[in-house]
Amino acid sequence: MSEVVLQSIVKRYEAVPAVDNISLSIGEGELVALLGPSGCGKTTTLRMIGGFIPVTEGRILVGGRDVTHLPPNKRNMGFGFQNYALFPHMSVGENVAFGLQMRKVSRADIARRVKIALDRVKLAHLSDRLPKQLSGGQQQRVALARALVIEPDVLLLDEPLSNLDAQLRNEMKLEIRRIQQQLGITTIFVTHDQDEALSIADTVVLMRAGRIEQQGAPDDLFERPASHFAAEFMGVTNLLPGEVAGSDRFRLKGGDTILVPVAGRAGPHAFAIRPERLEIDGEASAANTLSAEVEIATYRGLVIDYRVKTPSGLCLTARRPSPAAGGPAPLPVGRPVRVSFAPEAGTLVPM
Amino acid sequence: MTGSSSPPSPALTLPAPRARGGWRLPPAFGLATPATLFVLIALIGPLLLMFRYSLNRFVPGQMMVEALTLANYAKFFGDSFYQEVLGTTVWVSALSTLLCLVAGFPVAYFLVRQASPVWKGRLLLLVILPLLMGNAVRTAAWMVILGDKGLFNAVIGVIGISPVKLMYTPTAVVIGLVSVLLPFMIVTLQSVLEGIDANLESAAASLGAGHLTTLWRVVLPLALPGILAGTLLCFILSMNAYAPPVLIGGPSFHMMAPTVYQQVAKAMNWPFGAALAFVLMAVTLVLTTSANILVQRRYRRWSE
Amino acid sequence: MGLVSINRIYAAISAVVMAFVLLPLVAVVWVSFFSNRILSFPATGYTFDWYVRAWAQDSFRNGFITSVETALVAVVISLVLGVPASLALVRYRFPGRDAIQTLLLSPMVVPGIVGGAALFMAFIELEIILDMDISGSLPGLFIAHGLIALPWTIRLVTAALVGMSPSYEEAAQSLGAGRITTFFRVTLPIIKPGIVAAALFSFVISFIDLEKSIFLVGPGRTTLQIALVSYLEWNLDSTVAAVATVQILIIGVLLVASDRYAKLSRAF
Repeated sequence: MSEVVLQSIVKRYEAVPAVDNISLSIGEGELVALLGPSGCGKTTTLRMIGGFIPVTEGRILVGGRDVTHLPPNKRNMGFGFQNYALFPHMSVGENVAFGLQMRKVSRADIARRVKIALDRVKLAHLSDRLPKQLSGGQQQRVALARALVIEPDVLLLDEPLSNLDAQLRNEMKLEIRRIQQQLGITTIFVTHDQDEALSIADTVVLMRAGRIEQQGAPDDLFERPASHFAAEFMGVTNLLPGEVAGSDRFRLKGGDTILVPVAGRAGPHAFAIRPERLEIDGEASAANTLSAEVEIATYRGLVIDYRVKTPSGLCLTARRPSPAAGGPAPLPVGRPVRVSFAPEAGTLVPM
Repeated sequence: MTGSSSPPSPALTLPAPRARGGWRLPPAFGLATPATLFVLIALIGPLLLMFRYSLNRFVPGQMMVEALTLANYAKFFGDSFYQEVLGTTVWVSALSTLLCLVAGFPVAYFLVRQASPVWKGRLLLLVILPLLMGNAVRTAAWMVILGDKGLFNAVIGVIGISPVKLMYTPTAVVIGLVSVLLPFMIVTLQSVLEGIDANLESAAASLGAGHLTTLWRVVLPLALPGILAGTLLCFILSMNAYAPPVLIGGPSFHMMAPTVYQQVAKAMNWPFGAALAFVLMAVTLVLTTSANILVQRRYRRWSE
Repeated sequence: MGLVSINRIYAAISAVVMAFVLLPLVAVVWVSFFSNRILSFPATGYTFDWYVRAWAQDSFRNGFITSVETALVAVVISLVLGVPASLALVRYRFPGRDAIQTLLLSPMVVPGIVGGAALFMAFIELEIILDMDISGSLPGLFIAHGLIALPWTIRLVTAALVGMSPSYEEAAQSLGAGRITTFFRVTLPIIKPGIVAAALFSFVISFIDLEKSIFLVGPGRTTLQIALVSYLEWNLDSTVAAVATVQILIIGVLLVASDRYAKLSRAF
């Protein structure tokens, strides 16, 4: 168990940077999620930490030890692959035993530790099966047991849940978190799914085009996205471009001016507000009120999304509970509505 | 074969209305029949005919007399000269194949795991080009290189080493054969390694295995069927090689394929030539199938 | 050992092996320009004379023409027979399918010299029965070469068909196209790269064949490869190198052309 420090890591492929100057410090026992769209460099970063891709510039320190130029087999890191990479010609038990054999652990100890590792993921009874005889979730557990049995300093997981169906994903997510906390192992977890990152990480690192866009606690990222990209990636569907027009005023592109906390910003920004924070036909005294018309209503089970349009041409999405969740009756398309929100319901992000 | 793995396809097989009552020949037969007939007539038929000839008796001057005798096969197994020819053919083939495997694996591994996509394409073409330059041309080239006054002797002469006799030696034949077969081996191994998930090697490394251990414990077992396929291909091709033994082995170096030609076309002893051809086919078949079975047994457990 | 040094070892071995594989090619091209009368090293000067001489030599010129003719016919035979057969193998399930597949690919497995000898004997037998010249005739050669090219064509075309989703054909049929229209308007254009590659590759395979042709050539109907081998049995000079260089050039061009259409490494 060790802390991991990345110092100005750069990876270039023929002068094109895939990872561009990333510095990151991960505390002992912390679970960090590297989050971002595909091609943002998150997997490259993870594979550099694991030692599979040579680093172009910068240093990687684990527990104070410089591992930048160590081959993967000398790093003592557990790696969970997106496709699990279980050896197809070895049984579950042999897969888990492999890392211990490499460490010249005695036969008896191997048997004991394999048993413990498989017990931890509740698969001891399948020790003799071949990987292809297991379900996806079981394979994932074996991969986890195999990575953990060697008592690695760091656990690296590359999109571990992406090949599982929704229900199993939820279950495995909790299981990974449980085991990680139980062992107190420093873990770096790569994902493109913000929900996954938010629900299990201590710290979320949002990446974009090889750089860190924003990092912080899950609630921090979710509630206070610092950029247009971060807001969009965190699921803020309403991003209204405009310009700061005074100490607490923001002029939207269509001409409407709204009241928002500006906090010393100036110039072009976008106002980011989640559909849930827009109220339809709420109290008339709200700070910001726009009149609009329902354009499209999308029924999504527990909620209904209304796409509304103001006379100035501004399009917004507002979300209301559906009758199934105790909400009001659905609004018909074409119905004029009043959309209102409090100034602090959204944030300004630079364009 | 790639075709066998395709899913059953409903395309083009929509039942015609009148097919409901009776049984109709599927259209596939119409499509495959001409090719099938062609192979039956141009390959299988002649092979059967030749097998029949191998049971005939050879009478000098009369060519061939109809008979049902195993005398030609008995002659082969009774004559130490022909056994030696077969022995030479087998060991030269085995040695050449082994050398191809040893030299071909690193190249295939380099192509698959390390070369950039652009370079991989170029290098593969450079591997395939000599493969397709033809046995005659390639053998001519080796004659140019290995001859008494050839390139090799010229080069070592510059360094001050006296010329080496290479032409008309078994070494020269092995060199010639390896250069014929190496591209086949590289291309086959390349496609095999291509099918092995690189993550498996990364996984082994992250669990503490060094490169050689990873090769031995992970890559080799997974590549075994493909390695076998490449090895068998090279072995079969070298068992049946014609140009290298004739042209760089010289008149006193005998392998099976030239001997078959000599008997059939020059000595006009068809029955014995036919028997030789069948012995060649049978030996190749027996050696390759037994190797196949040996490996399949280890591989079946997890492959199916 | 680190990642980088392992890579270097593989790169170094690969370079040596590739040099060995390419050495004959380079040597033969080089030698074809030597002005030395009797082949020896080093060159006393360089000349194009050997190319002129090679073309002036009947056996090479006629051999080249015969080889091109034969290879073109082999391509036609292998496509006409091979494309429908590939379609049957990939798109249908029928009893005996695996057996037929094995049979169709078997010309690749049966040693060239054995198949050639068998075909030669069969032709002679037919000649006696029909009182016709077949062995050593062009049609005899065409049949043999069609047989050589067929399995390679089937391999490349089936690979192309496997890579093509049957839903395109289903779409065409749902829009009212019959089987034959579907094939010519939809299937064929989509698998065209595979067919072009198969044609080019078949040409090359037939062009360079030696073992199967050796029994079947006759006076005035000799392929280039046989002409080369018979010449080499008695002579070794730069004429052969010049012929070889031209052959390498032609094959190189065809190879690069067919690789543009389909990955050739799939054929092996």
